[in-house]
Amino acid sequence: MTFELNMNGFSLDNQANDYDVIIIGGGPAGASAAIYTARSELRTLVIDKGLTAGALGVTSKISNYPGVPGPISGAKLVEIMREQAESFGATFITDKVVGMMIDGEQKEIIAGTGNYRARVIILATGAMGRTSTVKGEEELLGRGVSYCATCDGAFFRDQDVAVVGNNDEALEEALFLTKYAKTVHLIVPTPELKARDILAHEVAENPKVNVRLATRLKEIVGNGRVENILIHPRKGEPEALPVTGAFVYLQGSQPITDYLMGQLATTAEGCLVVDSEMQTSMPGVFAVGDLLCTHIKQAVVAASDGVIAAVAADKVVNGRKKAVVDWG
Amino acid sequence: MSLLDKDTRKQITEMFQAMNKPVKMVVFTQEFECQYCKETRQIAEELSALSDKISLEVYDFVADSDLAQQYGVDKIPATVILAGGEAGKDYGIRYYGIPSGYEFSSLIHDVMMVSEGDPQLSKEMTDWLAKLETPVHLQVFVTPTCPYCPQAVLLAHKLALASDMVQADMVEATEFPQLSNKYQVMGVPRTVINETIFQEGAAPEMLLLDKLKEAVAVAA
Repeated sequence: MTFELNMNGFSLDNQANDYDVIIIGGGPAGASAAIYTARSELRTLVIDKGLTAGALGVTSKISNYPGVPGPISGAKLVEIMREQAESFGATFITDKVVGMMIDGEQKEIIAGTGNYRARVIILATGAMGRTSTVKGEEELLGRGVSYCATCDGAFFRDQDVAVVGNNDEALEEALFLTKYAKTVHLIVPTPELKARDILAHEVAENPKVNVRLATRLKEIVGNGRVENILIHPRKGEPEALPVTGAFVYLQGSQPITDYLMGQLATTAEGCLVVDSEMQTSMPGVFAVGDLLCTHIKQAVVAASDGVIAAVAADKVVNGRKKAVVDWG
Repeated sequence: MSLLDKDTRKQITEMFQAMNKPVKMVVFTQEFECQYCKETRQIAEELSALSDKISLEVYDFVADSDLAQQYGVDKIPATVILAGGEAGKDYGIRYYGIPSGYEFSSLIHDVMMVSEGDPQLSKEMTDWLAKLETPVHLQVFVTPTCPYCPQAVLLAHKLALASDMVQADMVEATEFPQLSNKYQVMGVPRTVINETIFQEGAAPEMLLLDKLKEAVAVAA
């Protein structure tokens, strides 16, 4: 057995982890909010899963973002926004939020690298969450179905497992699992991989990874524990693939709110409810972009939401009665 | 060689300066037959050296079996966090297996929490625990590489601090395969309550409260 005997290099609670504003999600909504809060000299942290983790990041060509004639890739546009925010002093980290305590005046965010605190939280996690689970998935959760390879990989030593999904996270987790598993079947619904080139290359080169393109997951089968998965290749017959683990990283079009654990009011569709300043049911917590279902899903609209929340955040942190708008 | 690097030691030393009451760590090891006993002892030694409010006692699981029994320690490595000083109250906070990776932060949090003496639980949970008459044993299975696990461990340990009826163990799943097998652990965190009720994932307090009520109802 090997695991890293790691006690160092992660952040414990200390003052270095205190910010004025923490923004979760670094797409157009989150990055635009960061440009404004950082420029207002609020200590700003943006926690993001990666450049291509969101809807804009995976869009290949954009030609209608005002001021940017394009065509430009979504990932490049996000990158420009982030660089602009960083130039004003915002800090970006690549991490995943796993929980939060938001009912007090000081909010605490729990992420993989440690805990972070701020007076204001701006949620900008977008709407690429799944709409439904596949047959067998819920019953077999914790019985071979997992959403966290780094957590559970060690239980699948020398076994055959499947990773289902097509994004940076799915490919990273598939590569992580090759440390333990005998074979990792990567089930990709579309005809090509949509992840960073370097990851796609690593996956292609790894002899333990078996990539199945244009193949859908239909069902996870097992009695008490995962025994196989039913897959359906676009060109071909459905087949049962014997695996003991199924790691699912599929995406959809639902607002991503699982990490909130029901702490905020949502509509029946799962969208966050906000007031005219983008504040949610919890004072000091704002939501912007595709988490709201009140508008068209366009980068420029999400960016506009981000700015409205950023101006309101400045009011909260500095105890102002009226918004101060930066005209520059 | 030191397990904690200079920056980490400095950071923890600063945190420990805010400690209120003294805290005691008790470690059970057995140097030659236990996979991470040496490292677990070393973590406790290095931590206790960072504050004069932390005392450490190290025992041999076999030679000091009476004490092991007294603490209810049935496997090693084991780390017990209890109140320091003369009183030395044992709240039932246990770590079985090495508290490394993400669980190292749980250990630090626990030291601070026991020192403060305030579990910071919701009113609903506190009220329910105050009326609890059935013993509750939580075993939270984890791996050191699981970012969701400390939330489950810390919540369980808060309950132990809040109530004399609750004992809460972190169990590092890969070091105790027989237990992982017994409780069918194939994903973490997985919390086993009184051998009968299972909770998958890092449950929020209210969801765990429902499971605790279920477990107590089964016991009744």
